[in-house]
Amino acid sequence: MKNSSRHIWEQPWSYREGILIAAGIGLSGLILQLFLGNIHPTLFAAPLNLIIGALFMTGLLAVYLLARKRPLGRWLTSVAATLPALALFLLLSIFLGVIPQFPSGSETALPDNLFTSLGWYRMTTSWPFVLICFYLLLILGLTTLRRTTRKQEWRDIGFYLNHLGLFIALLGGVLGSADMERLTMRVQEGQVEWRGTTATGALKELPLAIQLDSFLLEEYPPKLVVIEHESGRMLPTERPESYMFEGVGKTTDLAGYTVEILEYLPHAAIFSDDSITRVVPMLMEGATAALRVKVTPEGGAAPKEGWVSNGSYLYPHSLLRIDETRSLAMPLQEVKRYTSHVTLYTEEGHTRKSLIEVNHPVMMEEWMIYQYSYDDTMGKYSDTSVFELVRDPWLKVVYTGIFMLLAGALFLFFAGPKKSRT
Amino acid sequence: MSWDQFIYFAMGALLLWGTGAALAYSPARKIVSALFTLGGVMLFFVFIAGLWVSLERPPLRTMGETRLWYSFFLPVAGLLTYLRWNYRWILSFTTILAAVFIIVNLLNPDIHNKVLMPALQSPWFAPHVIIYMFSYAILGAVTLIAIYYLIQGKRIKEPARIMEMTDNLVYAGTACITLGMLMGAIWAKEAWGHYWSWDPKETWAAVTWIGYLIYIHYRLKRTSSNKTAMVILIIAFVMLQICWYGVNYLPSAKQSIHTYSS
Repeated sequence: MKNSSRHIWEQPWSYREGILIAAGIGLSGLILQLFLGNIHPTLFAAPLNLIIGALFMTGLLAVYLLARKRPLGRWLTSVAATLPALALFLLLSIFLGVIPQFPSGSETALPDNLFTSLGWYRMTTSWPFVLICFYLLLILGLTTLRRTTRKQEWRDIGFYLNHLGLFIALLGGVLGSADMERLTMRVQEGQVEWRGTTATGALKELPLAIQLDSFLLEEYPPKLVVIEHESGRMLPTERPESYMFEGVGKTTDLAGYTVEILEYLPHAAIFSDDSITRVVPMLMEGATAALRVKVTPEGGAAPKEGWVSNGSYLYPHSLLRIDETRSLAMPLQEVKRYTSHVTLYTEEGHTRKSLIEVNHPVMMEEWMIYQYSYDDTMGKYSDTSVFELVRDPWLKVVYTGIFMLLAGALFLFFAGPKKSRT
Repeated sequence: MSWDQFIYFAMGALLLWGTGAALAYSPARKIVSALFTLGGVMLFFVFIAGLWVSLERPPLRTMGETRLWYSFFLPVAGLLTYLRWNYRWILSFTTILAAVFIIVNLLNPDIHNKVLMPALQSPWFAPHVIIYMFSYAILGAVTLIAIYYLIQGKRIKEPARIMEMTDNLVYAGTACITLGMLMGAIWAKEAWGHYWSWDPKETWAAVTWIGYLIYIHYRLKRTSSNKTAMVILIIAFVMLQICWYGVNYLPSAKQSIHTYSS
């Protein structure tokens, strides 16, 4: 069975044929790509993806039944066929991971170069990528089927979990991607909305409506930084330092200055004219956070005292000038949490009150509703919440595969490789 | 516990790990060197736990924080391998690699603060990153073995035994990156609306995973060469480095939503 003693394409096949066939599939993909351009996922939405899936499964079974005893069938389930296919998929994935990608369907003009013709700016919908995916699925499916014919042992559980699990997750993911819908929806406090916007800007009416009862945004405590006036750069330039407020009376070292916190107003109004700035506590929409601080430079120069604020849509931010070139500033506070209290309505007249926040989506009528964004020009006073609505009818299929793979990975961890290799 | 105290814990742990590694070469009993290594691991963990408490969030957000876990898990992987396979040199290898990552953290500390953006506030956060760091450590140990194997060349005494050890470690490491990746997928569905978006970080996670799958399948063939297998491992580990931090320097990184370091 020495490879060197046989001619190419002479049985039994090995890596050489594997490399040539994988390359041939890649090349066919390339030719299709040059003539047809990228695959439009929307064209493959149900029922076409179901038909393709059925045809693929039929083809897989036919190849298996017709060729399983023949050299070709055996070879297709061998390492010699698998590795070149995996290697080519790896190569395309590396391109995918290096080259910036453009969302499919968007009208942005792609750069006029070779990568555009090759489809590499939208790798996942390019013909070579999709064909190699199906070739891998074919090998994976045949290998799984072939395993059923030999004497079963306990280790085979791991094999089936991993191979069948990957097959299900991959096939479900590839076919299902065309059926997935993602919409965004902006809702104002007190309003009801039932139309979503697609990525291309089209409006779509939904079988459900969202009423935004209230939107709440929580921020982290304010921070202080030292900046250069001219450039606005934070200091020290190579490793900017910042100090997060921890309480009145605290002292900290910041970029070579000693900063003491004298007073903290979480809700303040700022009145200033040319000569004087007054900061007063005021609990109102548009109030800003403000800190009164004492800054002492190193080396005994006179300390400076005054207010620093990061402003809001109502008030501009205010800096504390330390010297000719530097100031103490308060950057915008980082967002800790944002939440929408909503009432959801369906066409059938069901009503449900829910709380939606990041990492806690809500499921309603086949749609997962996510907290997506808010009006960031208004910051914590935003009265608008933006939701993302996602429908993925194939999710259950993919999750079946994913959970099989999870179990398979645990199996792999505990069982390890097969012991005797002789 | 703050980052300023890191140097004392790190130096203490390195001292214990170094002693453990040196004792592995001496005629002392295996348990002595194992206890020193374990002591270092525990000391290092006290720092991680203290940082966790003082930051009021899992210390897993910044690159520096992931390096911290990596230097923690390397001696753990080394110790488990040493106890199971008895190779004296493995502890010194993992100690040196842990020292490299500790030094990077000392010379190039990240800005550590309490901020944890809403997308990261999830029960998946800690298991997803910790299991990845554990697998990176195992696969790092495997890479050291591969380099050792290739440098030693014909001088390798028991190639079959080293390959068996390598296979075992790769299976464990690959199982863990599979778990980490799939937990990430389930989390991504909850946080971002889709389980797989071909975000650059996800793409490189897949590339890394395929790299190790190639090793596993290559090894199934009896005629495979050990040397080629070891070379595959080194290439796969390069992919892993790109996935971990290299991806930030690629042209595709601008679009990544997997960026959390300040």
